[in-house]
Amino acid sequence: MELQANKKNIWREIWKARYIYLLLAPVVIYLLMFNYAPMYGIQIAFKDFKARLGIWGSEWVGLENFEKIFSTPTAIHAILNTLRISFGRLAFEFPMGIVIAVLLTEMPGKKVKKAYQTLFTFPHFLSWVVVGTLLRNFLASDGAINQLITSMGGESVRFLGTESLFRPMLYLTSNWKSMGWEAIIYMAAIAGIDTSLYEAAEIDGASRLQRIWHITLPGIKVTVVVMLILAVGGIMNSGFDQIFNLKNTMVYDAATTLDIYVYDLTFTGVPDYSFSTAVGLFKTIINLILMLTANKVTSMITGEKMFG
Amino acid sequence: MAKRRWDSVQIFSAVSLTLIALVIFVPFWNAVVISFETADAYAKHPFSWWPKEFTLGNYKYLLGKGSTLFEAYKGTIIVTVFGTLCEMAISVMAGYAYSRQFPGKRFFFVLLLITMFFGGGLVPTYLHYKNLGLLGTYASVILISLVDVQKIIIMKSSFESIPMELQEAAMIDGATDMTVFAKVMLPLQKPMIATFTLRTMVAFWNTWYWPTLLLNGTNKTVLQLYLKSFVSNLDEEVQASTVFVEGTQFAQGIKMAAVFIVMLPIMAVYPFLQKYFTKGIMVGAVKM
Repeated sequence: MELQANKKNIWREIWKARYIYLLLAPVVIYLLMFNYAPMYGIQIAFKDFKARLGIWGSEWVGLENFEKIFSTPTAIHAILNTLRISFGRLAFEFPMGIVIAVLLTEMPGKKVKKAYQTLFTFPHFLSWVVVGTLLRNFLASDGAINQLITSMGGESVRFLGTESLFRPMLYLTSNWKSMGWEAIIYMAAIAGIDTSLYEAAEIDGASRLQRIWHITLPGIKVTVVVMLILAVGGIMNSGFDQIFNLKNTMVYDAATTLDIYVYDLTFTGVPDYSFSTAVGLFKTIINLILMLTANKVTSMITGEKMFG
Repeated sequence: MAKRRWDSVQIFSAVSLTLIALVIFVPFWNAVVISFETADAYAKHPFSWWPKEFTLGNYKYLLGKGSTLFEAYKGTIIVTVFGTLCEMAISVMAGYAYSRQFPGKRFFFVLLLITMFFGGGLVPTYLHYKNLGLLGTYASVILISLVDVQKIIIMKSSFESIPMELQEAAMIDGATDMTVFAKVMLPLQKPMIATFTLRTMVAFWNTWYWPTLLLNGTNKTVLQLYLKSFVSNLDEEVQASTVFVEGTQFAQGIKMAAVFIVMLPIMAVYPFLQKYFTKGIMVGAVKM
């Protein structure tokens, strides 16, 4: 009896929520059609894909494609290079948002501050195609910077065409485009700090530097930690858009990251769909583990989960 | 108010930020100057603050015969307008639905979250669009980035922040979920919707990666794609030393003219709408 009543209740609940389902329908249909449906194609990572046989018709090869990742020097290089660039970004890009936020907070002059903020955040809203074209021209051997160097008697530098300079240029150009935008999150966190703390410190005679060190930085600590964990979670993505739009044949080694490697495997030379899908899947799985770990650690620190 | 003297930290921050501002500004300005410069003047003064010999030659070449710039503008406008409309409609509805309680909510939410971590990947996704016969259509460019999970999650929390009593009061008056959504909740979310509309528009305006693959080999194009292929074609021509430097226009000038024309719309609106852009990231940051 009770069970039946419950069953009836459920149907009543569902009927009551009919409009909610209606509002939810478009996104669910989309997810099924365009996010879940393509997943059946992942099987080609375990197959020897032949276009003429199709996804279903191609022959199973087990884990052969995955074993190939670890016996292909370029694949291993791509993995290591991805990690190298990601750690470089953590060291040279991650702190810049905090630095800009603190500097902007301390800078006097409301109008100028506002203008700077507009300028600093603007490049973030341009695509890497635009920024890449712009900066490639600016840094070219006959570009403005090199003209300036040579006019002062120096020797022209191939900023984007030298293996050893390419990675530092990635950090530099990425900061150029995004550090102002990254700063906004920290500005918001700084704005949330209790102003009476600063007033009390001023009365106690604390210098500005002491106030930054003892109030501002501790005040944004949680935000910094959360952002850092997020950044670590995305360590397998090394910024495809940027590298793809800045790279050239002279910096093949420095520019080959996992994403670039998968792209090259798929669309240049003789395409190897199965192997490229295997490399992509390998990356996705490591990403998945990193992201879930990041989520767990963040929720432990803030008491709130990022993803539901 | 008496003017206080700046202390060393304030001076340091003002000086270093001014330097950074210059570093960010100069490449933009340099590009604009070069685009209005003649080839001869550029050869003599490659780095100047103002065009020495003002010309529209580079722009004329860019817009001259055989130019696909207008096609690209058309493509980008189509993708941006329809893409933004569709994405906003789907996301707002989903965001509201997920903020409510209903049987199966957990299941549907997990269905959404999984796509954030796991997907078909490059080749399976490409083959899927190919099998559906979507290659070479603007629809494919819109569809490939129609749902942004993070956006929906932020909208969900934004709807959740509105007190439940407001909805319940309307429900008692006999309103359905649909009416509550359209008449009560949407008007309250106008600032959030404005912010996300802007950011979605910029995202569609800047899309280039998937269009490269999906529109490849067709006559359809979008602005970013146009810029990329235009620049690489020009580079090839320069390397093959096909003559096209004719007194006024020159490769760098034409390239920078193209850059300028592609970024002009964003440049024109950004200073005025900046606060709406920034508001969005605040919402995201608070919810973290």
